[in-house]
Amino acid sequence: MSEEKGPRVEMATPFDPRAAILAPGHTYASITDKISALVLTRRTPRGWFLGFTIAFLLLMLLLFTAAYLLATGVGIWGVTVPVGWGFDIINFVWWIGIGHAGTLISAILLLLRQRWRTSINRFAEAMTLFAVACAGLYPLLHMGRPWLFYWLLPYPNTMGTWPQPRSPLVWDVFAITTYATVSFLFWFIGLIPDLATLRDRARRRFWRILYGFLAMGWRGSARHWARYEMAYLLLAGLATPLVVSVHTVVSFDFAISIIPGWHATIFPPYFVAGAIYSGFAMVVTLAIPLRKFYELEDFITMKHLDNMAKIMLATGLIVGYGYMMEAFMAWYSGNPYERYMILNRLRGPYAPVYWALLVCNVGVLQALWSARVRRNVRALFAIALVVNVGMWLERFVIVVTSLHRDFLPSSWGMYRPTIFDWTMFLGSIGLFLTLMFLFIRLLPVISIFEMRALLPETAPTPGGGTMRPAEAPTTS
Amino acid sequence: MMKLETLPRRAVSVGLAGLSLALIAAFGDPEHFWPSYLFAHLFWLGLSIGSAAVVMLHHLTGGRWGFAIRRVLEAGARTIPLMAVLFVPIFFGLSHLYEWTHAEVVAADEVLRHKSRYLNVPFFSLRAVLYFVVWIALAHLVTKWSYGQDRTGDPRLSQRIRTLAGPGLVLYGGTITFAAVDWVMSLEPHWYSTIYGIKFILGQVLTAFAAAILLAAWLSRTRPLSEIATSDAFHDLGNLLLAFVMLWAYVTFSQFLIIWSGNLPEEIPWYLRRTQGRWEVVAGLMVVFHFLIPFLLLLSRAVKRNVRTLAALSGMILIMRVVDLYWIIMPAFEERGIGLHWSNAAAFFGIGGLWFALWAREAARHELIPVHDLGGLGERASHG
Amino acid sequence: MSERTDLYGLLAEFDAPEKVVAAAQRAYAEGYRQMDAYTPFPVEGLAEAIGFHRTRLPMIVLLGGLFGGALGYALLYYAEVIDYPLIVGGKPFHSWPAFIPIVFETTIFFAALSAVLGMLALNGLPMPYHPVFNVPRFALASRDRFFLLIEARDPKFDREATRRFLEALGADGVWEVEP
Repeated sequence: MSEEKGPRVEMATPFDPRAAILAPGHTYASITDKISALVLTRRTPRGWFLGFTIAFLLLMLLLFTAAYLLATGVGIWGVTVPVGWGFDIINFVWWIGIGHAGTLISAILLLLRQRWRTSINRFAEAMTLFAVACAGLYPLLHMGRPWLFYWLLPYPNTMGTWPQPRSPLVWDVFAITTYATVSFLFWFIGLIPDLATLRDRARRRFWRILYGFLAMGWRGSARHWARYEMAYLLLAGLATPLVVSVHTVVSFDFAISIIPGWHATIFPPYFVAGAIYSGFAMVVTLAIPLRKFYELEDFITMKHLDNMAKIMLATGLIVGYGYMMEAFMAWYSGNPYERYMILNRLRGPYAPVYWALLVCNVGVLQALWSARVRRNVRALFAIALVVNVGMWLERFVIVVTSLHRDFLPSSWGMYRPTIFDWTMFLGSIGLFLTLMFLFIRLLPVISIFEMRALLPETAPTPGGGTMRPAEAPTTS
Repeated sequence: MMKLETLPRRAVSVGLAGLSLALIAAFGDPEHFWPSYLFAHLFWLGLSIGSAAVVMLHHLTGGRWGFAIRRVLEAGARTIPLMAVLFVPIFFGLSHLYEWTHAEVVAADEVLRHKSRYLNVPFFSLRAVLYFVVWIALAHLVTKWSYGQDRTGDPRLSQRIRTLAGPGLVLYGGTITFAAVDWVMSLEPHWYSTIYGIKFILGQVLTAFAAAILLAAWLSRTRPLSEIATSDAFHDLGNLLLAFVMLWAYVTFSQFLIIWSGNLPEEIPWYLRRTQGRWEVVAGLMVVFHFLIPFLLLLSRAVKRNVRTLAALSGMILIMRVVDLYWIIMPAFEERGIGLHWSNAAAFFGIGGLWFALWAREAARHELIPVHDLGGLGERASHG
Repeated sequence: MSERTDLYGLLAEFDAPEKVVAAAQRAYAEGYRQMDAYTPFPVEGLAEAIGFHRTRLPMIVLLGGLFGGALGYALLYYAEVIDYPLIVGGKPFHSWPAFIPIVFETTIFFAALSAVLGMLALNGLPMPYHPVFNVPRFALASRDRFFLLIEARDPKFDREATRRFLEALGADGVWEVEP
């Protein structure tokens, strides 16, 4: 943002290629051409078709499962008393959590003036949108009669009823709706100047009209930029508390109840940290292949990967703190149900899942203390995948182990997901990937105009410090 | 105008006067004295270790905001040994403070019997010693290396601090959590809340932040701090203050909402004690002065860029930090008929006086700006 | 006063952000007021240089947020206390702690919506037609070129004098913009 003034510490050291957030040698034109070419001129790589086909097949699996579900009912899933919340809520929380990194990168890092966010914010925001879409599927389908979803909304109706706002599930409706809307606005606003670039550079009439329609006549006027930057900053300021509130409300879905293992005051910050943790793991999982196959190493540099690894480490440690406090307080409380809950996790029928999540989320994570591991692309990719799995397991443990041992042993039961639980889950991954592949093909994956704005500031100068535009290298 | 050099002597006299009064209470009215002393100690201790935490956080993240308050915070962190010495008397007041130290009470209560493996005097004391060892070691190393940079200019020191800061914050988070459980949560030994540690951490960091802004505003009236404590720096500090005010409100409200909704007999009494009678007024005041007013004012750019308004607001937040801690600690003694008492103020100013005396001595011993870390930035700062 | 109606203005092209800022400042000092500058990314100081100072957007967003919050609370109060009072979990009808999450979300929702719609409305977007696009070189305004436009309706505008003035500012080219 143009507010950027004054000394910046990161740049105080002499130019270090490992610390660069944009490789040297670029001009305004080269940045524009290289990123827009991915959409406009470059031949679609064969790998894209392969990946898209796989993703699309998985999406068909989702459609098949959803159709069968609507025809038959939620009985095709493994949910039954006492575990009424199975894969649906696990996957819902998992996907929502993944979405959080996108908003974090675009909003919080903007407010903190972390310029390295620039090359990853666009696809991280897209990831947020698609993850929220996947998440939204589950509660809707879990309702059993999804066509009556609008009963969740507060509107005067002939039944004379209103939604019941002492229930956190109603908060969820508001939180997720707001989150999806604001994420979309943020993403779309960020796209407008780049859509104008595509409009001006597309060769075929169809694409010129399409991108031109979406760019809404953007022409880069100085007055427009001033209001645009203000709007973007305000949206960032609004999205930051919003993203915290969304996973907080998700955590309230559990914590407001009085089920041991759910009713814990630490849930809000612990869920938010977990969401950011899993979200960054997903950004890393997507960024590493993206930069490799599309040769974007100049824009998504080692510095980006290193920073994201550090954020994973910090949030992962908070999640570990959450596990510790849950276990300690379960013992300290002296409440037999709380104590049993944690013993059941450690030694009960789902103990292997609990131990696996500890290994994935806390154990493997410790490798990121080492700078060598953080700068090793393969190791980082592997760790990010492990964390994705670990965070899914965490939600499994929270949902299932808290429910399957009810207060009375006569009500105990086991939860076993059916084949349709799995196809639904795989199918939602297919939906996510399909949207992601389409996005990569049709829209610029990196914010072009923000990369241009970055150029004058990242060019190495003696003594470092922020360069004024006056010192920027001129284009030919 | 008061100067940094003359502050220690005045502060020491305030401190000694306060502590002498408190001593009278200690022998005349121990039931009132011990809660007062614990409350006073925890407030100033929170300021000390909160300062150390913010310093480590800045080493880890960097950023313009930290340089203006770095030395103020470092001097604050150097007061931890004093706070360790002042903690020693608490070992003699345990039976006045903590219900679980009475064997006959524990024997008659199943939950306390269960907890006695954790809540017993030897283990409690061992843990307290351990916490102070960790805090003193962290604060000592971080400040020593930071001062060392200015003397020797050795770049390896910066690297060393950065390496320590990460694990240091992990250690800080762990120790302060259990210290909060030991010293405060166990005042009401049946009650528990898993967010408690985070609530304490944020409270201390907010305290340290507000105090550092206030002190930096005071010191920035003269050189050398005036060179880097510019409107830009205060703007950044104001933004961070806003962030911490919001985080504090977030954590506080989350705990309240979850316990209020659950309404379980082992949890809700904590809030019942704190929202009835006069305490309800205090809780209401905190909503307004600890959150609403600072939040709304800190949204304004003009308030953050003006040193005077920002300092005034920090002062208000600091007062509310005292109120918040009082609201957390004192209702625990209400059933024993212990409330507002003159020894509250005596102990608070007694320990505070000594704290400030040491803080001012430490602050005066070193450059008020971290010359080395500013490095290439110094030139810009001097005409900025 | 310009008598020509077949001209929207003159567009000068520059190759660096600081040149267009300098040119805009000179033009403003010269007395031109009806002008605009076009850049491929936000350039610091350019809006000020063409005489644009404050945007009302923060106020719009604040009002939007307040409206959203008030609407949310009013809705909940009406639904839960007046129209459909229902005892749930032994909680009072006016359970304000439970209202806060929803009120928070509606506040953010309306504030964000007013930020985006307010920005678009103040900018006059979407705009299906604008004369500057008649200049073929203007396509580079979204790539690496920086443009300064002086409109023909400016009282000081004169086809030849303004052209000479712009060329003297170091423009790489000056183009006539058809209306």
